[in-house]
Amino acid sequence: MTAPLLVVDSLTRRFGGLVAASDVSFTVAPGEIFGIIGPNGAGKTTLFNVIAGHYRPTAGRVSFEGKDISGHAADEVGRRGIARTFQAVHIFKNETVRANLHRAAVLARRHNPLTWLSRRPHATPDLEGTAAFLGLDMLLDNVAGSLAYGLQKTVGVGLAMMVGPKLMLMDEPAAGLNPSEKIAAAALIRRLRDERGISVLLVEHDMPLVMGICDRILVLNQGMPIALGTPADVKSDKSVIDAYLGEDYEFA
Amino acid sequence: MPHKGVARGETAVIAQMIVNGLLGGLIYVIMALGFTLIFGIMRIVNFAHGEFYMLGAVGVLVLFGNFGMNYFVAVVVAGLLTGALGVIAERVLFRSVVGEEMPGMIMSLGLSIILQSVVLLALGPEEQTVARPFSGIWRIAGAVVPWDRTVVSISAIIILVAFYIFLKFSRLGLAMQAVAQDPTTASLMGVESGTIYASAYGIACLLAGLGGALMAPIYTIGPYMGQSPMLKAFVVVVIGGLGSIPGAMLGGLLLGLTESVLATLMDSTTALIASFGVVLLVVLMRPNGLLGRTVR
Amino acid sequence: MKVRAVYALILLLAALPWFIGSRYIFHIATMITIMIPLVLGMHLMVRIGQLSLAHPAFWGLGAYASALLTMRLGMPPLLSLLVGAAVPSLVALAVGPIFLRIKGVFFVLLTFAFGEIVDLIFQEWTGLFGGNSGLYGIPKFSILGLRLTQIPHYYVLGLIAAILVYLLMRAIERSDVGAILESLNEDEMLSRSMGANALAWRVAAFVVSAFAAGISGGIYAFYIGFLSPDPFGFQTIVDLIVMVTVGGAGSVLGPVLGAIVTVPLPELLRDAREYQLMIYGVCLIGFMKFAKQGLISFIVDKRRGA
Repeated sequence: MTAPLLVVDSLTRRFGGLVAASDVSFTVAPGEIFGIIGPNGAGKTTLFNVIAGHYRPTAGRVSFEGKDISGHAADEVGRRGIARTFQAVHIFKNETVRANLHRAAVLARRHNPLTWLSRRPHATPDLEGTAAFLGLDMLLDNVAGSLAYGLQKTVGVGLAMMVGPKLMLMDEPAAGLNPSEKIAAAALIRRLRDERGISVLLVEHDMPLVMGICDRILVLNQGMPIALGTPADVKSDKSVIDAYLGEDYEFA
Repeated sequence: MPHKGVARGETAVIAQMIVNGLLGGLIYVIMALGFTLIFGIMRIVNFAHGEFYMLGAVGVLVLFGNFGMNYFVAVVVAGLLTGALGVIAERVLFRSVVGEEMPGMIMSLGLSIILQSVVLLALGPEEQTVARPFSGIWRIAGAVVPWDRTVVSISAIIILVAFYIFLKFSRLGLAMQAVAQDPTTASLMGVESGTIYASAYGIACLLAGLGGALMAPIYTIGPYMGQSPMLKAFVVVVIGGLGSIPGAMLGGLLLGLTESVLATLMDSTTALIASFGVVLLVVLMRPNGLLGRTVR
Repeated sequence: MKVRAVYALILLLAALPWFIGSRYIFHIATMITIMIPLVLGMHLMVRIGQLSLAHPAFWGLGAYASALLTMRLGMPPLLSLLVGAAVPSLVALAVGPIFLRIKGVFFVLLTFAFGEIVDLIFQEWTGLFGGNSGLYGIPKFSILGLRLTQIPHYYVLGLIAAILVYLLMRAIERSDVGAILESLNEDEMLSRSMGANALAWRVAAFVVSAFAAGISGGIYAFYIGFLSPDPFGFQTIVDLIVMVTVGGAGSVLGPVLGAIVTVPLPELLRDAREYQLMIYGVCLIGFMKFAKQGLISFIVDKRRGA
């Protein structure tokens, strides 16, 4: 078995007395699509933000490609080859799609002013190719903020791709999308892995999407991991069914 | 030790520091409350706040000094006129920049220098004084307390209590607090947001005007007299937490006491540098202020 | 097209003093060229979303440093101008990593307090800075054996510096670095997620903008020949904010227009300061109310371009 790409080891995050994530451990293998689900307030977002470098872990470790990245700032995490997308649309709305992708490449290449002169050779994904991959090639000269919501989220994925990541963290990639856009989003996530070799760690509410595309799923409830396994395992897990009882979730 | 009142004994010196600190601090509280109210509700740093203080003092100069009106009546009338001017300024100028930090600052800076120049044209550059309506001193624990400052402080306390009652018990006051906490709840309270902005700015200017009116007999009156109180209010509000009303109370008294202690122990320049140093430290260590909530 | 017309107009105005030939006009024109690097420095900070009130202090640091390096250490003026401008840059490098963690109104207050402390040091450290009675006897600027003795000489010096700093700022705006700074201002969380070190870029912008202020200060010192703490206080903050507001922050050309329009005012209204204040105030309010993007918005349609 190949070495895991991302290792989360006994991660705990407290806010004052509140435990938002408690002793969570899992790994993401290269080429895997890994999902984190759980009822509202389960600690999914907290966990995501700790991995993305927005919060320090209270205890435990996160390592990427064998190197400890726990408590690294968001930009350091980005430089290691972990890109992320956001739940809400985060793009440069006043710029064209082309300028958006160009900026992403620049931001990923020039990390700080000292590297300005010594431009390290950095394999930036080709802009046109990325746009074609996303189906944005006809829209390159449109102002990003003028596109439909679903397309704006796709531009967000494009920004993350321009970083040239090995792992993409996706915060609710289906949030706010209509049913046909959700299908397209699921297909896109699969193609990211299949055609670009990008592993994906996603946090999502939409059960059919998660069950349909994830190789493995971690279920959180009140900050605690309660199940980890394939979609089939998780669906039949007693504690998972109990946790979701009373919530209006549909296990497709 | 080089400080001034050493002959009167240590307790008297300490008592004097506390008395001076409280006397100064109460005015800072009045200025800072309005400043923080405007920021909390409109997200505007009101650089013109000191000019409303100055207008209050000018009002007393004219009404009490020139027209011989009763001092207390003059203070109230000057305060109300300043508040009314604030309401007009909000409607005409600030409504269009609510919530926009940089345009709000620039707009208020513009208003500030316009008011300065108007008063400069009307009064001339010389500092003016009005006769003190009260004189004499009394003593507490060996500290000397001038009567005029006592009257100012008692009036300030009455104003603060009235402001507190307004915030706690009036519908408008409650709505203001709600908006300061969370702008989206404004409509839930059933009070129109325009009314809240106008009254917040107006009340803040009323407070500043009353502050200036009360201080008119104590300091000299001139077009630039508002700059220092505005800065003090800014500092107090940052120390206490932008938008926090208890923070403004605590911060004001704290600044008054700190200044009084520093002024007793050091020469004035060192004290000034030290007080700016304290500000730097507070902003760096607790960017949201001592009692502040997170601003974005 | 319109932009070219504005450039042509500025060139024409720049040549105007030689046609008129009056010392007074040359003086005003020189003051405009001196203010341009300073206001461009301030503008770079506005572009990254930070209103810096420290720039008059950086201006003063550049002025005193250039003057003292020549007077005390006998450095050639051109060298002391450059080294002198590096002084505020180094100060910005030292305080920037602390200050630039803070945003919005807190940054405004922080930089204001910093500026006041620097101004107090200028006033109180009389042994070095001459205090309120001033620093006299700053030698004339000279370069390659040429001594600059006439006002027009300083006008040429100021013009060269203003053009160089303008070209530098325009190059920054149009480069990838400009795109990074704008990205950070628009969406910091997004930009950081792609690996950009936000603090390092902000500090870099702060250092460059302090250098521009320092150059302006150095030329001012050699031109006026006398320094007191007076110009480095709050009044200059107001002047700079007026220039940026009137010209418009959307393009590098904006503050230049702002300086050209604003600097002559106090000179023309020298005997009526109260009217100058009034005009400043009306300008600030008028532009904020009716044209937040400043004069430049009438010339350039989009935010970029000039």
